[in-house]
Amino acid sequence: MADKERVDVSKLDELSRRDLIKRAGAGVILVYGGLGAPGVAYGAPKYRQKELAGTLRILQWSHFVPAYDKWFDNVYTKAWGRANDTEVIVDHINQADLPARVAAEAAAGRGHDMVATLAPLPQYEDRVINHKEIVQAVTRKRGKMKDVAYRSCYNPKTKKYFGFPDSYAPDPVNWRRDYWQEVGFGGGPTSWDVVKRAAPKLRDINHPVGIGMSNEIDSNMALMALMMCFGSFIQSRDHRVKLNTKKTVEVLKFARDLYRDGMSNEIFAWSAASNNQGFLAGRLSLALNAISIPRSAELSNRDLADKTMIAPIPKGPNGRVGLEHVMHTYMVWNFAENKRMAVKFLTDLEVKYIGAFENSRFYNFPAFPKSVPNIPVRLARDSNTPKGKYKVLGTISDKYTKNVGYPGFTNAAIGELFDTFLIPQMFAEVAQGRRTPEDAARDYHRRIATIFAKWRKRGKI
Amino acid sequence: MATVAARGRTRRRRRNLLESRRFLATALIAPAVLFILVLVGGPLLLAMYLSLTDAVGGTLGGEWVGFDNFVNAWHDPNFRRALRNTLLFTIVSQAVVLLCAGLIAHALMRPIRGRWLLRFLIILPWAAPVPLSTIGWLWIYDSLFSVVNWTAKQLHLVDQFNPPQWLGDPTLALGAVISVHAWRIIPFAVVIFLAGLASIPSEVEDAAKVDGAVGLKKFWYVTLPLQLPIATVALLFGIVFTATDMTVVYILTQGGPFNSTQMLTSWAFFTGIRGGSLGEGAAVSLYLLPLLVVVAVLMLRFARKVEVT
Amino acid sequence: MITSREKLTSYLILGPFALVLAFPFYWMLWTSFKTELDLYDINNVPFFFGHGSPTTKNYSFLFHETEYLTWVKNTAIVGVAVVAITLVLAVPAAYALARLSGRWGQSMGVGIFLTYLVPPTLLFLPLSYVISHFPVGGHAGLQDSLWSLVLVFPSFTVPFSTWLLMGFFKSIPRELEEAARVDGASRLRTLFQIVFPISLPGILTVIIFSFSLVVNDFVYALAFITTSDSKTISTGVFTELIRGDIFYWQALMAATLIPSIPLALLYNMFLDRFIAGFTGGAFR
Repeated sequence: MADKERVDVSKLDELSRRDLIKRAGAGVILVYGGLGAPGVAYGAPKYRQKELAGTLRILQWSHFVPAYDKWFDNVYTKAWGRANDTEVIVDHINQADLPARVAAEAAAGRGHDMVATLAPLPQYEDRVINHKEIVQAVTRKRGKMKDVAYRSCYNPKTKKYFGFPDSYAPDPVNWRRDYWQEVGFGGGPTSWDVVKRAAPKLRDINHPVGIGMSNEIDSNMALMALMMCFGSFIQSRDHRVKLNTKKTVEVLKFARDLYRDGMSNEIFAWSAASNNQGFLAGRLSLALNAISIPRSAELSNRDLADKTMIAPIPKGPNGRVGLEHVMHTYMVWNFAENKRMAVKFLTDLEVKYIGAFENSRFYNFPAFPKSVPNIPVRLARDSNTPKGKYKVLGTISDKYTKNVGYPGFTNAAIGELFDTFLIPQMFAEVAQGRRTPEDAARDYHRRIATIFAKWRKRGKI
Repeated sequence: MATVAARGRTRRRRRNLLESRRFLATALIAPAVLFILVLVGGPLLLAMYLSLTDAVGGTLGGEWVGFDNFVNAWHDPNFRRALRNTLLFTIVSQAVVLLCAGLIAHALMRPIRGRWLLRFLIILPWAAPVPLSTIGWLWIYDSLFSVVNWTAKQLHLVDQFNPPQWLGDPTLALGAVISVHAWRIIPFAVVIFLAGLASIPSEVEDAAKVDGAVGLKKFWYVTLPLQLPIATVALLFGIVFTATDMTVVYILTQGGPFNSTQMLTSWAFFTGIRGGSLGEGAAVSLYLLPLLVVVAVLMLRFARKVEVT
Repeated sequence: MITSREKLTSYLILGPFALVLAFPFYWMLWTSFKTELDLYDINNVPFFFGHGSPTTKNYSFLFHETEYLTWVKNTAIVGVAVVAITLVLAVPAAYALARLSGRWGQSMGVGIFLTYLVPPTLLFLPLSYVISHFPVGGHAGLQDSLWSLVLVFPSFTVPFSTWLLMGFFKSIPRELEEAARVDGASRLRTLFQIVFPISLPGILTVIIFSFSLVVNDFVYALAFITTSDSKTISTGVFTELIRGDIFYWQALMAATLIPSIPLALLYNMFLDRFIAGFTGGAFR
């Protein structure tokens, strides 16, 4: 078993091997330091905390950085388990398939002690513990949780923390410097107005911008962020549906025109992988996605990686308002067999988040910013060229990252409209000329209001 | 001595019991029925119960809301489209399947060189696990790297910059989903048709020849009627495979573009499991049941009638 | 004897169909040998190799860095076990429904078929409850155990097979059985010595159908199994080869081809018997 899971260094190419060795080394040191007293981590099991002994079962996605899973499964959790006399078992499944399994565990009332999903799942509120304890414990050591995380895991109506986000991924804009220079917009996508003016020219040189309007997560995120930049919000601060506004009509018109003048019809066919592939193929000049685009380019196509820049979300009439791309949220089931260790595990993980931050190659940003000291310095240290290109992630995460459902909290109704892809559907129907923007804003307001009413009746909003 | 006699009696009684038609029938049927009742009946009843409650994500219960979920679903345009699509996918793909499989099976009956290889190639789609082969189709229909589009572009059949988006245009995406369904069920139907053809007694063939029935005429008056019962089997299972399947839509389009290719099964999944409105999801998926029951009963009747004549 | 015109027609029909039906596999084969750079180059001719292709890297990745063989093995184990259970439950039931019971047998047969129509989309939730509260097994019943699938899959293979087998048993001439019974054989003996051997093709049909239904499952395996060494092929492949928004296309294609080709060969080999099997079945 151990043999099979060992990192097979010989199988990696030269570049990533060096990288991996470096990282693994760093990881070990970090964990070592991170767990406090040296010797605890690697000594024989100490039975000082006998009452805690047991098994802890975790279910989470297979991280897009495979090395992260190797670190988490084989280095971090093993060391933590030794220090806490607990056997930690980590299972992975594909992120898109997690919800089905999570539902099955909730229905059965049996399963892992905790599960992590890429978005908070408020609908399971009644099946999980109140994660307040973890939030408080980490807060005592690391100060306040980021607002974006707080608004993603707290239900103000029931006053319950229905999950604990350890991390989130900032959502930058990826753009090709060479293409943008070629059409005379060397400054990149600084505002939506610039995007709109550059897009036709970029399309003329066969490199359209790509903002998905399809049934998938990236489209959902990109379009909701675009809406917010135009001052269009799905719900208000106090969770009333606020979709049918002039701003919504405006952003729908903008997106329709942007599609007509500067995109190609592939955006309606996209899966979550498509914008990555379009970018890696050198076709797209702009895409909204987390850093999986440059990171995979660095592994397979260094030249392209050098030309790929990341930037904050473009500025709209309402300023820059972006979304997180992933809100990695742990839920400890209220039927978990080892709640106590689950709570301790999450607290420990969050308090010393350096290992996770580094091993995820800056994908996992800590929900408690002080859990990773000197984030800007670390970002600047990334060796990929052009040097310092990841620095901007710090700014993005500090200033422009909001929760889904902002300015309200992420709630079950938002979750349902997200998972039934109503926002991409609205944009796509307008872009394809099947509806007028006014009609779409009205109709989808009504549909979304039905969903809100349903969840309000259940006492969750 | 007495015990031996007693034992002999019990054995005889046991034998008698096993010779009793009624007892034996019950004993043989019971395990299967019990198994099905527990594993399908129980959960089905629970799903029906859920559809009448406001149950949310993962809680197998909730407050009674009567038929609200069914009414809500009915008023949702996306649900109606899913309902329409379920019918459309099933009918069109099965029509395609029947036609193609009929032709293929006929041709395969003839003893030609290379038949084994051709049959192997035709049967391949059925051997592949559906979730994985659908991934293969996802790549074939990819928005950028589609091999279909590449070929069409080289032949200058389509726009170079905006080629047809097989998964991005509602009409094309419907076609794409139907094509995958048809593709995976054709081999199944071919096999059933082959069986049907093989079962036509050669005397009938000879008689038809003597009567001068050839080609289309022979097909229409001789082969087709004899094949009807077996065609019904193929059709019935084809319908069930298509209508209750979620995998193809779930992997190929996620119901997109803009929820225009959702089926009842996938829409139930997105509403009930992903979105967390479990009660409503259960209601959506139960809409499928009466439809299927009607179809199945009609076809079983039809099949029996054909059999008699 | 068939004329050469008939032969030609056959080729004209079969050729294109075989091409279309097998094309995805040809394409998978091609893709599975490509490097990343080659795959994502839109200026490339996709029918040629370039940028370091062809490579066997994707296959060695599949075999050495994932537990692919374990998943294949698990799928096979589950398949065989489910087929066994299906036969044990469906064969006697089908025989009894076909021969020993009258009209109500007919209706019950239809009733059993109808359970096959229940959509599995949401059934997996209550079933999840059943398997994780199963009295035997680990900390959570049969959750994360291959046995959960062995238990659940017969819920759709049994109705299917019972119904199919009913047809076969009906097609066996009653005289055969009656002759045996006149010779003094018991009902059970008749069943084992006369009926089963004759209906072997039918049983073979059921075996192959049940196995292919098991291999095709997606939802149940997804909901019930998360531990890597108990995953079946569809869940395992999806977990390891689709990471976030990155698809490992080449390895995915390789993973699809590897089980498909031997299975197709096997099905084809059995096909002659198989056809005989079907001939007896269904609505006779």
